[in-house]
This record gives sequence, C-alpha cells and structure tokens, in this order.
Amino acid sequence: MRISHQWLKELIDFKLTPEQLADELSMLGLEVASYDDLSRTYDKFIVGQVLERAKHPNADRLTLCKVATGATTLDIVCGAPNVEAGQKVIVALVGATIPHNQHDPDGKPFVLERASIRGVESNGMICSAYELGIGGDADGILVITDKVKVGTPLAKYLGITDIVYEIEITANRGDWLSHFGVAREIGALIGKRMRPPIHKLRESKATAVLAAKVKIVDAKKCPRYSARIVRNVKIAPSPKWLQDRLTAVGLRPINNVVDVTNYVMYETGQPLHAFDYDELAEHMIIVRSAQEGERFTTLDGKMRTLRSDVLMICDGEKPVAIGGVMGGANSEIGDSTTTILLESAYFDPVNIRRTSKFLGLSTDASRRFERSTDINGTVYPVNRVAQLLQQIAGAEVLKGVIDVYPNKRKSSAISLRPARVNQILGTALSRAKVKSYLERLECSCRHGAKDTLSVTVPSYRSDLLEEIDLVEEVARMYGYNNIETKTRASIQFSTETAVKSLQDELRSYCAGAGFNEILPNSLLDAKTTEIAGEGAVKILNPVSVDMAYLRTSLIPGALHIVRRNQFQGQSRLRMFEVGNVFSLVEGGKTGVFDSYRQEERVLLLLSGLQTPLSYGVTARQFDFMDVKGEVQALLSKFSLDKSGFISYDTHKALSEDNVAIEINSTYAGYFGKVKSSVTKKFEIEGDVYIAELNTAILDAHRAHIKKFRPLPKFPKVARDLAFIVEGRLPQEQVEKAIRDSGGEMLQAVSLFDVYSGEQLGGGKKSLAYALEFQPQDRTLTVKEIDAVIATIVAHVQRTCGATIRASS
Amino acid sequence: MLDKINHIRSEFSNELAQVTDAQTLEHLRIKYLARKGSIAELFDELKSVSADEKPALGKALNELRMFVQSGFDEAKAKLERSGAQKDIPYDVTLPGRPVPLGTKHPITQTLEEIVNIFKGMGFTVATGPEIETDYYNFGALNFPDDHPARDMQDTFFIAKDILLRTHTSPVQIRYMEQHKPPVRVVIPGRVYRNEAVSARSHVLFHQVEGLYVDEGVTLGDLKGTLVTFAKQFYGSSVKYKFRPTFFPFTEPSADMYVSCFICNGKGCQMCKHAGWLEILGSGMVHPNLYKNVGYDTEKYTGFAFGMGVERIAILRHGIDDIRLFTENDIRFLKQF
Repeated sequence: MRISHQWLKELIDFKLTPEQLADELSMLGLEVASYDDLSRTYDKFIVGQVLERAKHPNADRLTLCKVATGATTLDIVCGAPNVEAGQKVIVALVGATIPHNQHDPDGKPFVLERASIRGVESNGMICSAYELGIGGDADGILVITDKVKVGTPLAKYLGITDIVYEIEITANRGDWLSHFGVAREIGALIGKRMRPPIHKLRESKATAVLAAKVKIVDAKKCPRYSARIVRNVKIAPSPKWLQDRLTAVGLRPINNVVDVTNYVMYETGQPLHAFDYDELAEHMIIVRSAQEGERFTTLDGKMRTLRSDVLMICDGEKPVAIGGVMGGANSEIGDSTTTILLESAYFDPVNIRRTSKFLGLSTDASRRFERSTDINGTVYPVNRVAQLLQQIAGAEVLKGVIDVYPNKRKSSAISLRPARVNQILGTALSRAKVKSYLERLECSCRHGAKDTLSVTVPSYRSDLLEEIDLVEEVARMYGYNNIETKTRASIQFSTETAVKSLQDELRSYCAGAGFNEILPNSLLDAKTTEIAGEGAVKILNPVSVDMAYLRTSLIPGALHIVRRNQFQGQSRLRMFEVGNVFSLVEGGKTGVFDSYRQEERVLLLLSGLQTPLSYGVTARQFDFMDVKGEVQALLSKFSLDKSGFISYDTHKALSEDNVAIEINSTYAGYFGKVKSSVTKKFEIEGDVYIAELNTAILDAHRAHIKKFRPLPKFPKVARDLAFIVEGRLPQEQVEKAIRDSGGEMLQAVSLFDVYSGEQLGGGKKSLAYALEFQPQDRTLTVKEIDAVIATIVAHVQRTCGATIRASS
Repeated sequence: MLDKINHIRSEFSNELAQVTDAQTLEHLRIKYLARKGSIAELFDELKSVSADEKPALGKALNELRMFVQSGFDEAKAKLERSGAQKDIPYDVTLPGRPVPLGTKHPITQTLEEIVNIFKGMGFTVATGPEIETDYYNFGALNFPDDHPARDMQDTFFIAKDILLRTHTSPVQIRYMEQHKPPVRVVIPGRVYRNEAVSARSHVLFHQVEGLYVDEGVTLGDLKGTLVTFAKQFYGSSVKYKFRPTFFPFTEPSADMYVSCFICNGKGCQMCKHAGWLEILGSGMVHPNLYKNVGYDTEKYTGFAFGMGVERIAILRHGIDDIRLFTENDIRFLKQF
C-alpha cells in the first residue's frame, strides 16, 4: 500500500520528517518498508533556455546549442527539428537518469553521460515529453511557454514534491488500507485527531429516492447499501492534482468519475462503485445471491461462472456487478455517461473472501471488504465522491442518500481490567493511564464496575473485539520497547527424565564416522517417488510437477543428490540423512488424519572411492561389505546386540542383494545395492550402496545406560583356523559352527581371509578365522586350548563338510 | 637355452649378494626384470622354440622369474629395514594421509545451537507431525475460517482439512493438550509453504518454535528470554528492539530485531541499509489457544516465538541462495 505524505498532511498536522514518520509508524506495527522522494525521479533535470542555435559541422540533422541553465551555459548537441534560439526547454544534465530512451524499442531508462557526438562534445540533453515520461510526444523537444525562471528544477516546475511511503499492512488492520487509517495512527502518536476533509454539497431539488430504488434481498451478505445519484456529469480526464495523487499511490488515471471513486477509496478506505444510471433497468438496485452456474462478464472482459453464494448487484432485470469484487461490463462508465449511481456498501468480509478465492479475483475493493470496512462509515465517502464530482465534473447532486441499513449495528462496549493489562504486559499502569492510551485511539472509555473500564471502540476498528485486543493496543501506545526486559526468572524446573535424543546421537555419530549430512527436499516428482514403491501421498496443489508427492523413502531423493555431486566431479560420496517419510497406510482413507503414516528414518549412503586418493594407497570402490560394516558399527554404537541380518528377496524395485535388519526380531530396515537399472535412470556412474533404518525401532531397543562388564584378569589366547568348504556355503554357517562348539571361553571369531583358487580344487573356498579365548578364572594351558580347537574342528567338519586347511 | 637360464640365475645371485644400496638394487631390477630385461628377452626367445621343448623350458623360465623376483623383493625389504636408503631422506613434506571429515548439515548445526541455548534456559524439546490437520495448523491457533490471515501462509493441501504444516506452531497445541502448565518447550522442525522457489524463498524450510506458559509470565519475560537468547547467539553487545505485528495466535504480537551483525548497524545489503535485522516473531499466547486446550485463561499467561532456521543460517554465514540447503552439494556441506 502506497501512502502519500502530502495527502496525510491534508488530514492531520504533524511535523515529523519522512524518516521519523517511517520509523515511528513501524514501531506502532505499521511497517514502512521504504519511502521515496518522488522529486528524485527528476534529479538533474532543470529548466534551461536556448541562447544560440548553430549547424553541426559534421551532421546535417544535428544542431549545436548554447543553453543557459541558470548557473552556467552548456554546449549541447541536439537532434530535434523544432529547437530554436530563445525557447525555454527541459535540460537533462550529465548523470541524470532519462526515464525513457527514445532509441530503445522498449523505451528503457538510461543514464546520461558526457558524449562526443560526431566530433563535437555535448554536455547535456534537451528532452522531449516522451523522454521525460510526461506524455507521448517524441517528435520534438518539449518547449515551455509558462513563465518560469531558468534554472528551476523540473520537479519543482512540475509540482512533484511528494514523498510516498510503501507500507506493509498486517492482515488484521483493514482500516490501514487508507490515508484516513494512517492519519489516525499518526494522530494517536502525536495526540491529535485526524480531520476528514469537509465537504460542502449543493444538492438539487430532485431527490435520489425518487430517481432510484435499492432493495437488499440478502442482508446477511450485504448488511448496508448506501447510494447517491449525480447527473449532468461530463466525462473527461481528471485535473492534474488528482492525476498526480493517483500516480503517486500507484494508480493509473482513467477518467474523472473512475478517478474520483479510486481517490476516495484510497482516502477513506471505503471502496466505491459508479454505475451508469441509464444502463440500470428500472433504475433499480437489487442485492441478491447469484444462481448456481449463472454467467456474468466482469469489467475486465472475462466471462465468469458463478456459484450460489456469490453476491450480485442487479438492476431490475440483470446482474450488473459482483458485489464488493468487480463491476460488470454492462453498466461501466463510458464517455457518453451522464448520470451515475454511486454505491457505497458494506459487505460481509467472509463472503467476499470466499468469492474472491473462488473466482481467483482479488481487487482493490475485495482486499478492503474482506478485511472489513466501516459499516457505520458508508455515507461520508459517497458524499465525498459527489462533492468532488461536483467540483471537477460539474455534476448535479440529487438530494439525499439512499441508505438501506436494515439492522443497524450498535457498537458494544468491551470490559477491560487494567489489572489484566498489567498481568500480561508486566507493567504497573493505572486505570487512568490505560484510559488515556485508548482515548488516543479514539476509543471512548467509561469507568465500569470494580476498577474496570468500559471501552467503546470506533466502528472502523473491526479488529477490536475482546479484552486481549485492547491489551495489545495499550502495549502499542505504551511502547514495546518501554516494557521492562526481565532477565531474572522465577522458574519451575522440569523434573522429567532427561533422555538424549536419538536423532542428535545419530547425527553426531554419523558425522563422526565421516558421513556428510544431507537434507534433501521431501517433495518429489511422481516418477522418482514411484521408484521406492507405492502409497505415496499426493499434494493437491503442488507448485510444480517436480514437487507433487511426499517421499516414501529417503533413498530416491538422495540419488538425486548423488547425481548432482557426480556432475560436479565428486568421486567419493559418504552421506547420511535423518528425516521423515510419508505414506498412506494400507486400507487407509484419504482425508483421514490417522491414515497417513509419518515415519522417521536414517539413511546411510556410500558411492565411489572407499578411500580418498592418496600416494601409496591402492584405490578401491565402496562395496557391499562396506555398507554392511557401517550398519554393524551403527548397531553396535547403540548397543543393539540382539540384532540380526536376514538376506531376503523382496523384489524391491530399488535395490538388490538386500539384507533385512532385525532388532529384537522386529524389522528395522535393510541395506543393499541400488540396482543398476535405477542408477542408470538417475544418470549415476558406478554403484551406490544404501542402508535405511527406522529410527523408532532403534530408539525403542537401544541401551540408554550401558552396563559395565569387568575387564578380564587373565591373558587371552589367540588361535587361527582355516577351513576348506564348498564355495556356495555361506560363511555364516561356518562361523556359527565355530561359536556353537567353542565353549564359554570363545570370545571373538573374526574372518580374516577368504580365498578360492585352483589349488583348492574347483568350487571350493578357504575361510580363515582368528579365534580369541578368554578364560575368567585361570591361565589356559596349551593342552586345554588344543582340546577346544580339536572339538571345534571336528564340529565344523561334521556340520559344514569342511576340511581343515591350517591351524596355528 | 637352458644354459642361458642357469647362467642368469647364478649371475643374478652373485650380483645380488653385492648390493648395498637402493640405487644398485634398482639397476638390477632394470637389468633382469624390466620389460626389456634379460628375462623378458628369454620369454621372447621361447616363442621360437620347438613344441617338444617348450613345456620344460617354459617351466624353467617361470621358475627363474619367480626366483629373481623374490630375491629382489627380499633384498629391497632388507634394505628398507636396515635404513640403507639414507641417501633419500624421509620427505616430511608429503601430504598427510587424508582423513575425510563428516559434517552435520549447516541447518542442523544452526538448529542445534539455537535449541541448546534454550535448553540452557530450562526448555525441553518436543516435535510433531509434518502432515497436519487444518485444526492444529490453523483453527486451534485462532486463524478464523475465511480470514485474510490465512493468506499469510500459502498452504499445500493433501485432502480437505489435511495439509503440510506451514509452521511448527501446531505442536504448541499438541503439546499443551498433553501437558499441564508449567510448559516450557522448544519445537524444531520442517515446514512447507506453497511458494515459488527462488534464491530467497523455498517451499521447504525449518523453524524453531518456543512456548512458555505458567502463572505470572509477562511480555517482560518474553523480552527477557529472547534478549538473553539473542545475546548468547549473536554476541553480548548486540542491540535489539521489538515492534508490534500481527499473528492470530499471539496478542500482543512482536517482531524482534537485532542490530545488523554484518555491518554493525551501519547499513548494508543484508539489512537493506536499515541497520536492523528481523530475527523472529513472538507474542503473548492468545487466550483462545488456552480455551482450545482446556487451560484456565485467567490463571495462566505465556509467550510463544518462532524463527526460520534457514534465514538465520543465511545471515550468519553470508549464504546468497536458500536453494543451496536442499541441493546438498558436498562442496557446500564441507564448508560448515
């Protein structure tokens, strides 16, 4: 919303500089985003006089002019045919920004520089009206015939001296969408009252009520409709002062009638509409709801299909406007209009908003109505419009206002306890003080029962409904920054058990283990989402098809990240994420909250080089056993001892060689290798290994407090064993056989070599294990160990069909 | 040919015995084992040998190669052990073995830092769902139906009355429904807004929300708590101010500004030459929220606040494009 400084000055007398005003208003909650001194547009443009005109030595169409600018005389090369000595002209000085470039097809602005034109230096430019942006004429320079002193700045000559504030209005303050509203706020600030312009209407003898009838059918959607009739209007462009005002606040002048209604809307906040009276059948206004499917063409030329809750303004036969949103093409003010019915109504904010949303049509009027206008303030604006039309368009104003207001709304008083104010703000304000703050805001306060105030708020403050709203007003007037900042606290401490968040621990662990955390978008396109399976939740109104579904797994989004990084030349990726995935539960119903599953997961991802390139190190790629190792490490970090791996074939579309992770027999996730058909789709080079686990399962089974195990007092004994087994036999079985037969003392079994080769005979492999025995109560003898080893060897031979290869 | 093989074997043994430095050893390697060394020559010759002789000669030649290779390896290892390579000093300027560092995402880091400060002030942490109902996201937070306040947060819908939360504030309601006062909680999380993606805005970002409800909590406490946070996070000399604003779920509502820590208040691009940066929204909890969760509106007062984590990280690190956070370029992540 743009607010004019000069306009405000007409409504209230204040002495603040623009900077002070911007600051003070912002501190009242009326945020001034910026302010512009409009005269700056014409910085370095002045009125000059051509003293001499001579031919350019090197160009037929150019002239050399000596131009007086007050302080100095400048040599300027001019290309205009109409330049003559003696003329008063507008001169742009070097450094000026020319609003329109005559030689640019789009007329873009440019900064004027000192230039040599065909060998002659030019120290400025004599401007055309087009170049100045004050009219269309580009054929020749603008010649001034007014009496004006040479050297006068152009802004002063044009009377452009206004300052315009760009104000950001909060959703609760519809009243601020006007100069009245902002002036009232200044009034509250400086302790004065805003004064509306006094209008002196000369009414004719003919009365409005006889000229037109207004009937409200739907009084809920339109509680009040005020109208005036003016005739003998001559449609013409508005006078300069009015055009300047509208231009300053960002409106385009159209004609005197439309301009005046816009002017009064920006002044009072009340949207007004002008109907061509002669186009209104039976000279009647009927306010009713639309028929379902009814069609109507609005002012912008668009045909709109309506719903039955849309409020229509109709004449005796047909609709002529969508109430509070936009007028119709059929009753628009045109050049031949002479008689006008002016509408100043109050529409139900909720219904206006619904209509505006339904039609996808937000207008200056609907924006104000949906924030609520002043139901008791419809008459002043329509009088103001009539008066201005009388003043500038010679209109005859018919006597009286047609005012249909079936249920007059009385403002009810709000009871305010000053103690409540102090309870919330932490202040110690007296009742008198509270009263004085509210009175600045034009509230009337009476002393009520038991030290309360009975506060009646002005009707334009539709946002003030209850006590807490008044507390905020007192806070604003008192000043937020005057409220004591309390850094001493009296606190009731929480006595709940402190639990370390699994998410925090996971992130710290993974970062410590050399993973980079990623936070990809959880919204994906349909194709990417599908890769991880069905049941994805769809967004009804996505910003783009790229972000139309919620992810069902962390993997597909991470694959996008892999591709992006590979494109940037990254040869080694080690990433993790802790994030939510979403799905519609099986048999769940769309639109039922409990049907949506939101599950947090942790993802580990490995791709590319296992170790960074370095001298003396053989480079190798990450492989399946790397991701398995990472999962094992993660599980051991959280002491999830009772976890197991089950390789399974799930026909997952995304990955292969999948291994399910079970924790205390509960499925917790899986790890595997992303299928090459999938990596190909993502244009990823090489293999990608992933592990995805459900954090809730991790959290449920992790050990919060780890139990201490006493350290052994006797030395441990190490032995190695190597077996030759069938190549297809999973090593897990051999390991299990060793553990089963190793007895209590066997502490650790680790596979340190896997070998298959010609010497072993076809289809065989050798598995070599390092075994550790830890006695609790004695030092082991060689004999004892040998006996255990013999038992193990015998058991493995029997159960796994193994032959012993080596024992040491 | 067998003679040649035997000759080379004995010649190599003799020469090897005399090796005392790495350079001589390297000469030996070139003489016997290099691609044009004497063993390679013999393998070439083998091609022209008759088929009868080939198996035996081939076996002998292979044995020779293994013999020479292992002799060479042993001698090299011995030299290294004895430190005989004294003439090539240990090059301490070689780069250290690379240790790839893991990193937490800059958003996680910022979020943790914010949350930890509030934990120090006695706040605990709560979280809630990203798919929300209209009631928790709007209705219970005092956003009337069909009110322009709803335009403040463009929403992604999943079904009628089911949406992606536009802020972390619904967790205020969920938490109060489950807990009686005193309530002192911070709520970090991911939120969504239906906006065009650009360098300055994204459909997805993170917030930290805070809620403090008890008897006797005032706007003064709100200011004190948030000023304490600002000083701990932005530096103890930071200046601050509070400005009235509007949120449906708080009243009075206040935006908090701190003096621009980039230009120290002199004016720069980051603060749009104002010298101040808006860092969070806050306010006294609207009594209607207490009604919605069954708290005594007369007995309890409290405040709430919320801040955008991306915005804070952007300001803090001078990041020029919010999209970098979701792009996850490793070169970006490793900077933090």
